[in-house]
Amino acid sequence: MQEAKILIIDDDPDISEAMTVVLESKNYQVSIARNSREGMDRIQDDKPDLIILDVMMDTPQEGFTMGRQLQENPETKDIPVLMVTAVKEKTGLDFKAEAGDDTWLPVDDFIDKPVKPQVLLEKVAKLLSKSK
Amino acid sequence: MEEVLEQASLARRAHWLVKLRWLAIAFLVGAVFVARRIFNIHLHEQALYILAGVILVYNAMLYVALRRTDRHTTEQMGTTLNRILFLQSSADLFFLTAILYFSGGIENPFSFYFMFHMIISSTLLSRVQSYMQATMAVVLFGLLLLLDYQGVITHYPLRGFAPEGLHTDGRFVLGYWFVFTTTVYLVVYLATSIVAQLRKQQARYRNANEQLQQKDLIKNEYVLRVTHDIKSHLAAIKSCLDVVGAGMLGPLNEKQAEFVERANHRAEKCMKFISSLLRLTRMRMTGHFDRTCFPFKNLLYDSFAAIEDRAVSKNITATYEIDPVIDQVCGSEVLLEDTLTNLLSNAVKYTPNGGTVTLRAKDQKHEVLVEISDTGIGIPPEEIGDVFNEFYRASNARETVRDGTGLGLSMAKEVVERHGGRIWIESSPDGTTFFLTIPKDSAVS
Repeated sequence: MQEAKILIIDDDPDISEAMTVVLESKNYQVSIARNSREGMDRIQDDKPDLIILDVMMDTPQEGFTMGRQLQENPETKDIPVLMVTAVKEKTGLDFKAEAGDDTWLPVDDFIDKPVKPQVLLEKVAKLLSKSK
Repeated sequence: MEEVLEQASLARRAHWLVKLRWLAIAFLVGAVFVARRIFNIHLHEQALYILAGVILVYNAMLYVALRRTDRHTTEQMGTTLNRILFLQSSADLFFLTAILYFSGGIENPFSFYFMFHMIISSTLLSRVQSYMQATMAVVLFGLLLLLDYQGVITHYPLRGFAPEGLHTDGRFVLGYWFVFTTTVYLVVYLATSIVAQLRKQQARYRNANEQLQQKDLIKNEYVLRVTHDIKSHLAAIKSCLDVVGAGMLGPLNEKQAEFVERANHRAEKCMKFISSLLRLTRMRMTGHFDRTCFPFKNLLYDSFAAIEDRAVSKNITATYEIDPVIDQVCGSEVLLEDTLTNLLSNAVKYTPNGGTVTLRAKDQKHEVLVEISDTGIGIPPEEIGDVFNEFYRASNARETVRDGTGLGLSMAKEVVERHGGRIWIESSPDGTTFFLTIPKDSAVS
């Protein structure tokens, strides 16, 4: 079986490359986009099996906007999205106000930066197995 | 903002004037009665009672009018109120003159009461308006004296109180009016000057206060931005170190692994510090936290469990006495648990091997009282007031545990107070007890 294709959308090259190393250790095929526009192009060229999405890029909520776009688009709504953020849910951005209700998030799961290699691998494996 | 405040205080003073006037009416009726019936002074009782009645009606009308303006909070309200106040003062001067007319004119020492009007006008009206009031008083009283002197109006003497014929003594009348006039203007001059000074000072205080709040906001925003920036760099540093440390870029020898681990450890510490600072600043700025109702007892057990291992490893006896009736508390579960865990781990941290740490919780009707006691190093008495300040660490705490953020207690205070509770300390060289009260249904402040 071909290993899963993962697209990282994050404007921080150090973090995205560190995540690449972690993911490549499990033989995932990783590609990187620096912002949501580049990410969208990449998705159209070659649909990934999973997207890792940063919240704050050029604008503080770029990740949210993109997450919602992905969810609304029938072509991409099946791709699991793992959101990465340096801002903790409980104390940081108001996810609730953003979402309009308690549970709604435009992504499937999220983790805090810095991402622990083990945690990242576990979450990725879980999301991929769910979407199969 | 300032406009509204001014309006509110104007409205308050207008109401106060109406209240004073009720008293004045009662005083007038009382004075007439006493003068006539007890001192047997001859005065035109009937006219004075009628006047009291007229003032009563006029005051009642004012009361209604003010009530109505209270409901409007438009911009014109300020000018309307000012106009009402000006008319009120003018009417009051007229009424006082009328009262004096029916009770002896120059013979009646109650003409001193004009000064009250002058002082009140000076505090309520503008400087120009106050001088207009003064002029009005001088003219009205002057007219009364003049017409009385010339015999154009009927003179109602205060027989039995003052010698007769004062009002026809030209020199006396003129002198009296001169002194009256100068006094009126002087009173207005002095009163308006004092009031102007006070208002200036008030404005200065308000200004300074606004500036302080502004500066505090800027400071908080600044801290937020800086910490945020630092945090994203730290996250990158840690991500890279984690990859190396996990051997994903090839195996490390023992020394390499150790140093990567050390770097990682420090980055972790820094990250924690930054996170606390972010959380504290954000809470200060927004005052916002998620509020739910949850069983407080469980939170107490959880916080205790979080530090139990650390206590055991230091050979510290950790115990708890938790009142079993403690039930639901409404507030931020995360923040409260963080706070309690933090205080408990402080207790463990600053207690020497073999000591004890105790968590007590008592149900007290509307609130829960939590006590966290240790047999630790204590807080020097002169520093107890400071330990809740950001970045402050007690001198002996710094000696005992080198790294600490100095944010824990200031966060604890912020959290407890945001929940409407209190936090305080009792400490001796033998140990410290933290007390905190958490209202069961805290109003979010």
